[in-house]
Amino acid sequence: MNSLIDRREALRKTAMLMGAAVSASTVAAFLEGCKTRLELTYKPLFFNEDQALLISEASEIIIPKTDTPGAKEAGVPNFIDTLVKDCYKEEDQKKFLEGLSEFDQNATKAFGKRFIEGSPEEQLGYLKKVHDEAVNAKKADPKTPQPFILKLKELTLLGFFVSEPGATQVMQYIAVPGSYKSCIPLKEAGNGKAWATS
Amino acid sequence: MNLNVEAEKKNTYDAIVVGTGITGGWAAKELSEKGLKTLVLERGRDVKHGDYPTANLNPWELPNGNRPTQEDLKTQGVQARTGYTIRPDSKHWFVNDLEHPYTETKRMDWMRGYHVGGRSIMWGRHSYRWSDLDFEANAKDGIAIDWPVRYADMAPWYDYVESYIGVSGQSENYPYLPDGKFLPAMELNCAETELRKSVKEKLNRIVTPGRVAHATAPMPHTPWRGQCQFRNMCIRGCPFGGYFSSNACTLPAAEKSNNMTLRPNSVVYELIYDEQKGKATGVKVLDSETGEQVEYYAKVIFLCASTFGSTFIMLNSISKRFPNGFGNDSGELGCNIMDHHLGAGANGRIDGMEDQYYSGRKAAGFYIPRYRNIGKDKRDYLRGFGYQGGGSRQGWARGVAELALGADLKMMLTEPGKWSIGMTGFGEFLPVHSNRMTINHNKKDKHGLPVIDFDAEYKENELKMRKDMMTDAAEMLEAVGAKNINTYNNLAAPGIGIHEMGTARMGKNPKTSVLNKYNQVHACKNVFVTDGSFMTSASCVNPSLTYMAFTARAADYAVSELKKQNL
Repeated sequence: MNSLIDRREALRKTAMLMGAAVSASTVAAFLEGCKTRLELTYKPLFFNEDQALLISEASEIIIPKTDTPGAKEAGVPNFIDTLVKDCYKEEDQKKFLEGLSEFDQNATKAFGKRFIEGSPEEQLGYLKKVHDEAVNAKKADPKTPQPFILKLKELTLLGFFVSEPGATQVMQYIAVPGSYKSCIPLKEAGNGKAWATS
Repeated sequence: MNLNVEAEKKNTYDAIVVGTGITGGWAAKELSEKGLKTLVLERGRDVKHGDYPTANLNPWELPNGNRPTQEDLKTQGVQARTGYTIRPDSKHWFVNDLEHPYTETKRMDWMRGYHVGGRSIMWGRHSYRWSDLDFEANAKDGIAIDWPVRYADMAPWYDYVESYIGVSGQSENYPYLPDGKFLPAMELNCAETELRKSVKEKLNRIVTPGRVAHATAPMPHTPWRGQCQFRNMCIRGCPFGGYFSSNACTLPAAEKSNNMTLRPNSVVYELIYDEQKGKATGVKVLDSETGEQVEYYAKVIFLCASTFGSTFIMLNSISKRFPNGFGNDSGELGCNIMDHHLGAGANGRIDGMEDQYYSGRKAAGFYIPRYRNIGKDKRDYLRGFGYQGGGSRQGWARGVAELALGADLKMMLTEPGKWSIGMTGFGEFLPVHSNRMTINHNKKDKHGLPVIDFDAEYKENELKMRKDMMTDAAEMLEAVGAKNINTYNNLAAPGIGIHEMGTARMGKNPKTSVLNKYNQVHACKNVFVTDGSFMTSASCVNPSLTYMAFTARAADYAVSELKKQNL
């Protein structure tokens, strides 16, 4: 947690310098906020902690918690860590990490901080810009190699929709349908949501 | 001496069946039900019906979203060539390629599983009858040799096996894809129905529900079997017995006869030929667990070890009488490898019907029977192809390419996407003598047995046909008004259809064929070969139903010949 400790220390120093201008409780709340936003809920086996934090934050931006769980709660960051470790070829792992590093470096160019240090607005604004450019580039030329942000989006969607909350709360899933209805009004097809598996 | 006689007696049965896949199961059932003490030998592990470890797992219970790991691909890299078999939910049904290697003078995608039930657990379940268009094809085209049977010979046997296995389907009264004894069809969904209407009206071709071996109605003759539950997780094995497999149907039936002995972990590597009697007296078995070598004896032997499996045993059975492989007077054993070539077709988007959906997971889409080179249609190639395809509404994967992100993306993906339809051709593959397998003694499998070498390839006729397979698919999608039509023609290698066949073909003349019309080895009447190796041509329809019909017929003939003391 080196990066987080450094950040905490920096904030503490800033608060001390600013004296009475910032109350102790404000600093505590700020620190608390950082802590909840930047905590890993699993122990990564492939990514280092900073990489894992970036994946975790970015996946939650792609699929956030709403009235249903988001990517983090559905275990997507852990899913991505395991999948890249076990299923990717070595060269693809390397490309993925290079893409991640480039994504982070460009974040610094865009808003002056590393991605995980940005405010929610900075993170969202930057991620959306990179994402939209990638989607448009793919639309213009489908042969464009899949950029990091779309690989991450794909892994996030996969991890989320094979998860129990993704499959059963955001989409719908019935383990044993028992019958087949070939062509019925959408609202009569279970609860009217998309089926999680085909 | 006495000890040997005792041992021989103990290891003697009326019949031996080698293999427990789709044909071995049928041979086991028919022979044992007809009263023969039948030993069934399976080279792989035992799998009892219901013993399907992943069958009830939910998506979140499978690691990595059911993607293969690099470790899996190291041990099952050849089996993974299909792109869909080596996944956490089904990889245990496919061999370890390091333990069971083969060599490729030319690439061959040989997909197989060594366990009781064989590929009847993982098969595609599509079940179509041949017509005389197929049985007469070689004779009419002057290709290879004529089939020794016609549809009229086989029709009652198709009836017989269909009634037993249960085939869901819809009658179409189309002479080139004869109707059968159907259970209720798995109905076409909204998009597929639109395709059926447009293709009929504009192109006069048939789009019919896939005819699949699923129990869509009760099966009173096999009361231990349930009905299809529309889970569409068939490749994992079905604990409901919703589709036909040896494990769910024929092997339990054989067991009920009290005449069957099933011996798993028994690798048959050679037939024992008695030069005096002019008969095969038994088989040599290697116990895959103990390494022990055992001999078993019987009056009649059914080889149902899969096309390449049975042909390997025959090629590996060398005697004074058969120096070039068992029953190989013709020199055709191991030759004429066929498969179906696929991977050419198209897909597209169908706009509209957005307030329509489906519920349940259908285990079959649609089938489009062959229409090329029929009647006045003449192409620059012989034979033709059929299509398998399906329509569905897009799922979450469409979200990757969309601009939506965050809550908007999540909201969008709660709803089904647009309708889309895809179809891929299954093309006929001509028999050619030079497309062959041989035994490679320079390499050994984990049992120390020599391996198979393959030297087969697609020829000009297949390659020409593929252009039509691709463009006709697009034409039919255009007929239904599809948008964003994407065509493809991805050539793989023979074997990828998992319909390998033809290496011990049947025919009228012992000089040009290995088997007679009853699947009986011309030169050794008490050996029958009823898996795909008997096929004289390939048709373009999925072959398993035809293998089952020939197996049941051969078993019936074998028992009547035994009774007449002709074997």
